[in-house]
Amino acid sequence: MAAKTSTPAPTPSPLRPAWVGPAFTALVALIALVAFSQLGGRPAGSSPTGYSAATALVGSMLPALAAAVVAGLIPASHGWRVRVPIGLMAGLFALFISRMWPGADAVIPEGEPPPESTTLLSWLVGLPLAGAIAILFMPRQAPRLLKATTLIVMLGTLAAALPLLSVDMGRGYHFNQDVVWIERFGIHYHVAIDGISLWLVLLTTVSTPIAAYASFGSIKTRIKDWCFALLMLQAGMIGAFIALDLFLFYVFWELMLIPMYLMIGVWGGANRIKSAIKFFLYTMAGSVMMLVAILYIAYTYGKLTGSPSFDYFELQRVLHTRDVQVWLWAGFAISFFIKVPMFPVHTWLPDAHTEAPTGGSMILAAVMLKMGTYGYLRFCMGLFPEASAEFAATLAGVAVLGGIIYGALCAWRQDDVKRLVAYSSVAHLGYVMLGLFAQTQASTEGAVLQMINHGISTGALFLLVGVIYDRRHTRQLDDFGGLAKPMPVFATMFIIATLASVGLPGTNGFVGEFMIIMGTFVSNRLGHVNGVQAVGAAIGVILGALYMLTAVQKMFFGPITREENKRVPDINARELVAVAPLIIAIFVIGLFPNLLLSQMRDAVSRTLGDVSARVESSPGPRYYQGPTKLLKRSASAPPQLAAPAPAPAAEEN
Amino acid sequence: MKDLLALFPPADFSLIGFILAMPLIGAFVNGVFGKRLGKDAVRLMALTAIGLSFVAAVVTFIVLDHQVDLSRSEVTEAGVTHVKYGHVRLSWLAWEWMRISGPRDASVPIELKFSVDALNGVMMLIVTGVGFLIHVYASSYMDKDKAYWRFFAYLNLFIFSMLLLILGDNLPVLFVGWEGVGLCSYLLIGFWYTKLPNAAAGKKAFIANRVGDFGLLVGMFLLVYYTGALDWQGLEAAAGSLVNTSDAHQVHLWPLGGGQFQGPLAILQPKTPWTITAATAVGLALFLGCTGKSAQIPLYVWLPDAMAGPTPVSALIHAATMVTAGIYLICRLSFIFVLSPATMMVIAFTGALTALLAATIALVQNDIKKVLAYSTVSQLGFMFLGVGSGAFVAGFFHVFTHAFFKACLFLGAGSVIHAMHARVHDDERSQDMRNMGGLRKYMPLTYATFAAATLAIIGFPLTAGFFSKDEILFKALVGHPVHPQAAKLAARNFPVFAIPSWVGPTVYAIGVAAAILTAFYMVRCLILTFFGDFKGWTVGRPSMLAKHEHAHHDDEHGDDDDDHHHEEDLSQPGYPPHESPRLMTIPLIILGTASLFAGFLNPGFLKGLLHWHDIPLDHWLEPVFETATAAIELPKEEALHSKEMMSTVGAFMAFAIGAGAAYWVYIKEKGKPARELIQKVPGLYQLVLDKWRVDELYDRTVINGADALSETAASVDQGIIDLVLARLSALLVAALGTLLRVFQNGVVHVYAAIMVVGMAGLGWFFVAPHAQAEVKAERAGDYVIEAAPGLGYTYRWYPDAAGKPQTETFGAATQIKVNVEEGKTKVVRLEIKNAFGLTGSKDFTLTRPKAPPKPTQLQLGQNAVPSGERTN
Repeated sequence: MAAKTSTPAPTPSPLRPAWVGPAFTALVALIALVAFSQLGGRPAGSSPTGYSAATALVGSMLPALAAAVVAGLIPASHGWRVRVPIGLMAGLFALFISRMWPGADAVIPEGEPPPESTTLLSWLVGLPLAGAIAILFMPRQAPRLLKATTLIVMLGTLAAALPLLSVDMGRGYHFNQDVVWIERFGIHYHVAIDGISLWLVLLTTVSTPIAAYASFGSIKTRIKDWCFALLMLQAGMIGAFIALDLFLFYVFWELMLIPMYLMIGVWGGANRIKSAIKFFLYTMAGSVMMLVAILYIAYTYGKLTGSPSFDYFELQRVLHTRDVQVWLWAGFAISFFIKVPMFPVHTWLPDAHTEAPTGGSMILAAVMLKMGTYGYLRFCMGLFPEASAEFAATLAGVAVLGGIIYGALCAWRQDDVKRLVAYSSVAHLGYVMLGLFAQTQASTEGAVLQMINHGISTGALFLLVGVIYDRRHTRQLDDFGGLAKPMPVFATMFIIATLASVGLPGTNGFVGEFMIIMGTFVSNRLGHVNGVQAVGAAIGVILGALYMLTAVQKMFFGPITREENKRVPDINARELVAVAPLIIAIFVIGLFPNLLLSQMRDAVSRTLGDVSARVESSPGPRYYQGPTKLLKRSASAPPQLAAPAPAPAAEEN
Repeated sequence: MKDLLALFPPADFSLIGFILAMPLIGAFVNGVFGKRLGKDAVRLMALTAIGLSFVAAVVTFIVLDHQVDLSRSEVTEAGVTHVKYGHVRLSWLAWEWMRISGPRDASVPIELKFSVDALNGVMMLIVTGVGFLIHVYASSYMDKDKAYWRFFAYLNLFIFSMLLLILGDNLPVLFVGWEGVGLCSYLLIGFWYTKLPNAAAGKKAFIANRVGDFGLLVGMFLLVYYTGALDWQGLEAAAGSLVNTSDAHQVHLWPLGGGQFQGPLAILQPKTPWTITAATAVGLALFLGCTGKSAQIPLYVWLPDAMAGPTPVSALIHAATMVTAGIYLICRLSFIFVLSPATMMVIAFTGALTALLAATIALVQNDIKKVLAYSTVSQLGFMFLGVGSGAFVAGFFHVFTHAFFKACLFLGAGSVIHAMHARVHDDERSQDMRNMGGLRKYMPLTYATFAAATLAIIGFPLTAGFFSKDEILFKALVGHPVHPQAAKLAARNFPVFAIPSWVGPTVYAIGVAAAILTAFYMVRCLILTFFGDFKGWTVGRPSMLAKHEHAHHDDEHGDDDDDHHHEEDLSQPGYPPHESPRLMTIPLIILGTASLFAGFLNPGFLKGLLHWHDIPLDHWLEPVFETATAAIELPKEEALHSKEMMSTVGAFMAFAIGAGAAYWVYIKEKGKPARELIQKVPGLYQLVLDKWRVDELYDRTVINGADALSETAASVDQGIIDLVLARLSALLVAALGTLLRVFQNGVVHVYAAIMVVGMAGLGWFFVAPHAQAEVKAERAGDYVIEAAPGLGYTYRWYPDAAGKPQTETFGAATQIKVNVEEGKTKVVRLEIKNAFGLTGSKDFTLTRPKAPPKPTQLQLGQNAVPSGERTN
């Protein structure tokens, strides 16, 4: 088992054989190489060839390197007769994958050098994926190795994600990579980010290492599987945020579902199986509806042009009539609403959170719920603007009453801290959805910011609840009381995270809520009830303080009523290191939200502009009427891979 | 001055940043490193931070004064020369915070910008100056507390937030400070958090404030919507649109948001929608915020509970600074409030009623801090009464004087409690005035300053409180806020709310009544505490007492050791109560002196009496309230003068009656009348002692209501939503599974039986004829109907179902071509015969729409719906 961090073993543990050192160094070097090649991805003025040479070098050496690493990692007790074949297999596998890897280069507009790396995003997905596969070849008996590998891969991904920040996002998409995957069905491997997904990708790359690091204290069994699940989950989440091909998006969307299902089901609490199944079924039910909608819309495109496509920008061009669009929209939207989760399909969330281990809860709250809100913003509003506008007013009512107010009221009644925080997520995501429904610049920016904020503050809260759970093995509010005395640092951290969650000005939560509420009131999508909804959202501010402070009071203040609480050790160094970045981020975003807002502003304005252009240009009750047809390709879409399909037959008639 | 201006130009006055940064640094250093620094370093850090901030504030004030002097101009109006000053601001932009959407997709930048003008310049001096004195006091008062560092970190943080509140140049920045002081108040009320009531009081304060903050938020988005600005200058420029008479500038209360009820709900539709002007909506929303922060009806209940915090906190936050934020906000946005006379009336009445209600409660309280707390609520009511009547200068002046005398009273009370704590360790008993008495002898400095402040608060002539309270009552009597465009709108038949003329005198009368009670309870408090005999414990002769007994107990409030300290046996003689150390008495002396003399900054009463024109504060603040004062109607000069005399006499009588009665009851009769009265009406006494049971009322209604609501929500969530969505659908699937399982039981007979049934079904399908066909539309009304093939099928077509068949016999023609005229309908029948000689038929109705604008295939396809079926 893992050696306790508090007592460093004087002699090397027998479970840590001599080969670990060199193998480890090699792994670190590999990742560092990749990270550096990406960090230097856009040297000012230098030609892009130097960069691709580095990539090519890594690429050509990959099979040999993989073989060597895997062979080296096999425990010394196994002889060469085991090592060589496995190493060979790994090398072949690597060769296979590198050959499978789409060979076609991305389209480069003529005359212009590529402004930015086209493979960077693939590295972001590929690194954790490769890490997950590497974990499979590592011995189960070496937990420290597994943990370190996971962390290093995650930190490498984080480092590789940093160059994303060096680009001014503006209105368009960046780091565009578009390669044909399955030609027959028009399925591409198309990834790119804009100012909206940029922050969600960064949120993912930042919060997963924190979740992993925090979870290593409490996860004691099946560490190998845990590390594997973590890395797969990260790959799936990043992939879903960057995919611009609907098929690819769906693949990633499902990819992240399974590791989370395992996390809850294997490492969860007493009722874990039930919660995991509930989580899985709820999400799956939505996903299937989305799949049907994706297939239908791709099929329609195929009928119009002769060849189907799953490309986001192509499918955006399809004009549907109302009866079709509403169903397609519903297929996507219900899937996203389940993920958000919105009332009334939210009941899986408290159960999942209560049973999930700390790391799982953190990722679930910080990133996976954002998948629903991001999906709604990108796909529902992007593909079905008329339907999104039509139902905005009604759904905003659901978000306010069912999310902000109802979620808060439910949270107030909870005795289990984790359940309470889970219900508070329902309330917070109600704000995000309200911002998206209001469809004004400020409210949408606020919604995207609030996605990040919720990831940070709720992530911190789950982490901290995990800390106390590890010590007391209970989460019932009544079992605590007066904890501020034995655990002052912990109490301070918890209160800061609470205040951010409550939306105290100066913390990040305020900026998001404020922008959403302000934007909601000036919205013209919500009909005449925009005022009522803004007031409802403002009432949520009171309720938020009510339930969070009640919980804080029950946990930390008052006399210590239980003997066990007198000597609870305070937060330790590992936990503090994990939570510190989140606490810092709370203040940084609270005071300098423009750091984030300035990058997303143009992307949000483009998204909203697309919606209102469609909604306002359509005759009749805001919908296009007549046969399904294609629009012109949007100006902000990245360049296409292939030449546009021959003029569709349908348009000729 | 020149150098100073070169360093800090008025448009980029970065000294404000310094004023703000010092307390923040102090809070950070003390909060993070305080535990290791030790008490002396913490004290040094905290005091230096606030001290430097105060010095910088004074420098800022001097620069501001200089700038104001530069803007001086003389205006001659109707032969009289007035001196006029411009509205000067020193501003400093830190950075842009965010951008929000305004009306018509405009982008409204929200900047972290600060500015100082005459109004918040004075406020800034109060906060840093009085704040510094209280810090000095606290550094001695809290000496024995183990969480000394935490206390000063919070206190510095409070000063920072308060400065943010008053220096902010727009509403969002003010809101940051507004919530920031709420947070510090929460932390400081619950400073001794191991006691549950303290923590609960902190929470209550925070939540009551949050209710107010809700109002402020609503006010902000209304302002953005109607004016497109949130900074003071932008708001002042665009405030006119709040009284725009167009329908879009009315806030629709019913139907909500201006909708229309239809169908059976039309009964709910009023004849004319209920609307209020945007100005009233904004005013009321912002005022809700003020009632939270400044403890007015209905949200005042948190303030008395807040006395659970350390006494310097009560002095600083809950008397001198934070609670006056509401008045500051109204003064700051006076140009918006005067646009709505209805709001002004609500403010004045709320203030007056709060003043009276709190004063009645204060009459019977025995806890010295509770008396002072209710007195604060009552005085805040006076201030709102003032600003609600349009007397912004007077209301603000009362903030100014109140800061001195109430801080002095609280610190004096703290000094007394400190002395009582020498032997009485129980909080409740050490603050009970019935255990005090006669302290005048033992604590002369405390007594003198407490008495000075008491004179000020009860309005003893020529003390600070006298001038400010007199001015408020006078303005309440004569001032009459009028809608600025009342005449214009009345001409256009637009209904404008006008304040009835009885409001002024009524509010004045309530104010005088509250002033009488104030004088009574404050004198009662003074007498019970400092006069008569000491009742706390038997005072022994010093030579007879053991040395160690005098030592202060370390754990007097120590939050770090929760051992229940044993109560001393008070029947044993002990040392006499002692005067407080010098660090505590010096602030008392300064504040006491200020309570006596600060009134001369704005002696409104003398202005009339001695015909002074250039009284300092009035002139200083004139440009700030220029727009607002224009909307207040005052009577003519002569009437004004006579009313002023009347009101002053009233105010003086209030003092005389209240103080005289208290003197008679508690000195002359030794409290006998009070005891007799209590025995006569014990029910009423108990009711007042229980604060009119307002807390219980709130518990029963609002709190219980919200509780029940959340209980319902939680059980609905588990019992209905989860039940229907998760368990019911699971049940359905399970039921279906159970049903299907019956057939999958492994018994061969059953399988065989099912097979037979299946075979029979299939056989029937093949034997029965199925007349099915697909209708295809071609251009120009041509339709092709193609029949589906089948086993040995032959077909017979009827181009018209009523007419003859195409061929007499069944043939092999699988399709028929039909032409339909525009706007006509045709029914085509298909008959089939299968290999077994059985026949079946089906009708197809073809409808061609009447002259479609441009008939295309797809539209035809949609409209020509095949319908009707008659299969055998």
